Amino acid sequence: MTQSSGPKTAHERPPLWRDATVLKWAAQIAVLFGLIFVVVVAIRSAAANLEAQGLTFSWRFLSDRPGIQLSEGFATLPDSGLEAILVGIVNMLRVTASGVVAATILGIVIGIARLSSNWLVNKSSTVYVETIRNVPLLLQIVFWAAVFVSFPSLEPEGSGPIEGWLYVTNKGLSIPWFFPRESFWQWFVFVVAGAIAARYAFRWRIKVLEQTGHDAHAVGYALGAFLVFAVVGWFAHPLVGALGWVFGGLAWLFGSIPVLLMQIILAVLAVALAIWWIRRFLDSLRSPAGLARLTDDDIFRIGLAGAMGLVAAVVFFLVPGITEGINLGLERLFEFWDTKFNFLEAGTVLEFGRPTVETPGRFAGFGLTGMTMSGPFFGVWVGVTLYTAAFIAEIVRGGILAVAKGQTEAGLALGLKRGQLLRMIVLPQAFRIILPPMGNQYLNLAKNTSLGIAVGYAEVVAVGQTLFNQTGATIQVILIWMGFYLLVSLILSSIVNWYNRRVALVER
Amino acid sequence: MNLKKLFAVLAVFALILAACDAGGGGDETTPTTVADDGGTDDTVAPDDGGGDTGAQTGGDLLSAVMDRGTLNCGVNETLPGFGSKDETGAFVGFDVDLCRAVAAAVLGDSEAVEYTALTAAQRFEALSSGSIDMLSRNTTWTQSRDGELGVDFAPTTYYDGQQVMANAADGFDSGSGLSDLAGAVICTNAGTTTEKNITEAMQAAGADFTLTTFEDFNIVLENFKSGACDAVTTDGSGLVSRKSTDEPAPGDWVIFPAVPISKEPLGPGVAQGDAKWADAVNWTMYALIIAEELGITSANVDDMQANPPNGEVQRLLGGEEEKQTAMGLPVDAFYNVIKQVGNYGEIFDTHLTVLGLERGLNALWSDGGLLYAPPAR
Repeated sequence: MTQSSGPKTAHERPPLWRDATVLKWAAQIAVLFGLIFVVVVAIRSAAANLEAQGLTFSWRFLSDRPGIQLSEGFATLPDSGLEAILVGIVNMLRVTASGVVAATILGIVIGIARLSSNWLVNKSSTVYVETIRNVPLLLQIVFWAAVFVSFPSLEPEGSGPIEGWLYVTNKGLSIPWFFPRESFWQWFVFVVAGAIAARYAFRWRIKVLEQTGHDAHAVGYALGAFLVFAVVGWFAHPLVGALGWVFGGLAWLFGSIPVLLMQIILAVLAVALAIWWIRRFLDSLRSPAGLARLTDDDIFRIGLAGAMGLVAAVVFFLVPGITEGINLGLERLFEFWDTKFNFLEAGTVLEFGRPTVETPGRFAGFGLTGMTMSGPFFGVWVGVTLYTAAFIAEIVRGGILAVAKGQTEAGLALGLKRGQLLRMIVLPQAFRIILPPMGNQYLNLAKNTSLGIAVGYAEVVAVGQTLFNQTGATIQVILIWMGFYLLVSLILSSIVNWYNRRVALVER
Repeated sequence: MNLKKLFAVLAVFALILAACDAGGGGDETTPTTVADDGGTDDTVAPDDGGGDTGAQTGGDLLSAVMDRGTLNCGVNETLPGFGSKDETGAFVGFDVDLCRAVAAAVLGDSEAVEYTALTAAQRFEALSSGSIDMLSRNTTWTQSRDGELGVDFAPTTYYDGQQVMANAADGFDSGSGLSDLAGAVICTNAGTTTEKNITEAMQAAGADFTLTTFEDFNIVLENFKSGACDAVTTDGSGLVSRKSTDEPAPGDWVIFPAVPISKEPLGPGVAQGDAKWADAVNWTMYALIIAEELGITSANVDDMQANPPNGEVQRLLGGEEEKQTAMGLPVDAFYNVIKQVGNYGEIFDTHLTVLGLERGLNALWSDGGLLYAPPAR
């Protein structure tokens, strides 16, 4: 190779095979096609394998009646395979959501306890963490399910410990509960408004505190604002019934809008979204002087965004079924909310119910008036909560230790009490460090709920397995599982990332 | 610097492609039903010839098993009598003996079996993925399993029916019916036909109930003993078997209804699409039944072979006009089966009669049962 000895002029380009721009683009395109190739080969060989075994690949099981009963969920006798999977999904989300809340609270408490100067508190929390996180989760879940099984059995009368209020039996734990009734959502609008009002009240009082230096009772004001809204809403909730008309109108609109018009709107939206993204991207690259220097990667991303917008627009026109589906979905959605805000049917907001024992045949069971936790749910929930809490505790401890010692000393020098110091100085700073790894723990918790199959909890994996054993739709069910867990993980991690960006230190 | 990175990426990518290509290419020529280890693929692929007819002829599992020298058999380990482990950790049971019989027929050695303990939910995956050659795990023959799940069933070796077991203390006796179970929590194991049967039967009886399913039947039984489950349901034979081993005191548990709620023909299965292998398994099962009909037992099989009383015995034990070699089996295949494992009646007596199960439907047709094998001629 001959190297030019003098400085190159700007216009002299290297040969094609050494031109970084060309090579980069070639690599991007090669990767794209390679990816498509791999996917196609995988699908084709899977299809060939299935055919060789005389198996057919069909999604019919989703609409067929599975004819199986599920142990718990919103529909224990599902009408279709799809509904069975939805029951599993809702059950999984129930245990995940309640597990995340419980594990966070428990984890923070134990994390702080590990730093306590009280010897007993300190050591017992250490023992907790070391024991729980070093025993496989599956064993723990099976253990808690077995603990549940060893509770006393439910008798038609005389079960307890507090008959009529609290039952601890191997058919379930049942407690009194408030159940939402027909006007719950109308009231809920007031609750949300109250939460927003509380936020403004809090900020206002904090401002007053900062200006005057006197305690402005920020928390009290916020709580007061919230309570005012909640109490007023309790009586005035039918007023919000007007929202029902709005939803009804929207439902009618989406039900009667011509498909072609909707297609045009969606296509325009898709292109507009692409243009908006590209403009924002360009803005982010622009220097204060208004100049933008684009690398090859940037051009590729802009091109891809534009292409995706156009493809989406074209697809909306080529496949009218998508638009029809969106129309129908929106119509149904607003119809649903219309019924929730119907103020002609306004009545009770919440209803208090105590657990009851019913004996339809020879066997005692819990009625629907109380909140009952089944044994399998108990096993999974306690298992994943305790397990995840052990990890969260370590994260919290690490986060607190990572806050510079000077901060604590400064706080003490100002005369803050220990509790105030922790609440106002240390925890807010520790929180930034804690948050990203917490997100990982939440993801783990969500995925670990699939171990519920071992103790008979009807979550999405257990239901799916029952389904494919009845129908043979193994690959389809596995695809649904993968898609579902991917979706849950992505949603969870984007929530955590969003929150993380919000509380992160703004660097200049 | 950038170029180096780029080439590294390209090189990695090329490797991935190469790997995928090899995988994909292999699939086209090698039948997928053939076992899991690469060694057998080499020996099988050539004599399969044209890949076009692969879907009909499938693999040649019979020669693959013979080359390997062991039979991979999927069995139960939680059902005493049918499939469980003894004190030494060896698998024993009625279904296990069917694996041993096939190993004796194909390989001449009833001990040349690699057992895989499978749960109900795992079994069909194991069969269709090729990690087992034969499934002998109290599996019910149904139309959907034959069609959608890709299982070829061998002749039924045990005619069973689903029943329910509950506590006598709750007022049940052998005359109880499903409607007495209203409001009960009924438990069974996941991934079986029992879930659907009990759901449909309870609907027909007009009784509401809660169904809880567990992967492992041992856990089902734990829940039943503690009272978390009011009743358990599975095949009648399974209930009798578990009652014999787990009942706290005789008479505590009751099995009903007298007429089972379902037909459960249990038998071994093989992966669909390999007729030769299916024939070998099928005829091993038939040989067990024919041997009982003809009175050939493990004790007298040597005499019978030396002085066959009739042509059928002579053919079955590998004498003149034998039909085994035409099926690709060794001449003395069925002699080995009877010699090493015994005939159907012997297997039944060893494992099931001791549990208190009666022959009932599983008697020979000549004794009023349902067992009927095609003639060996």
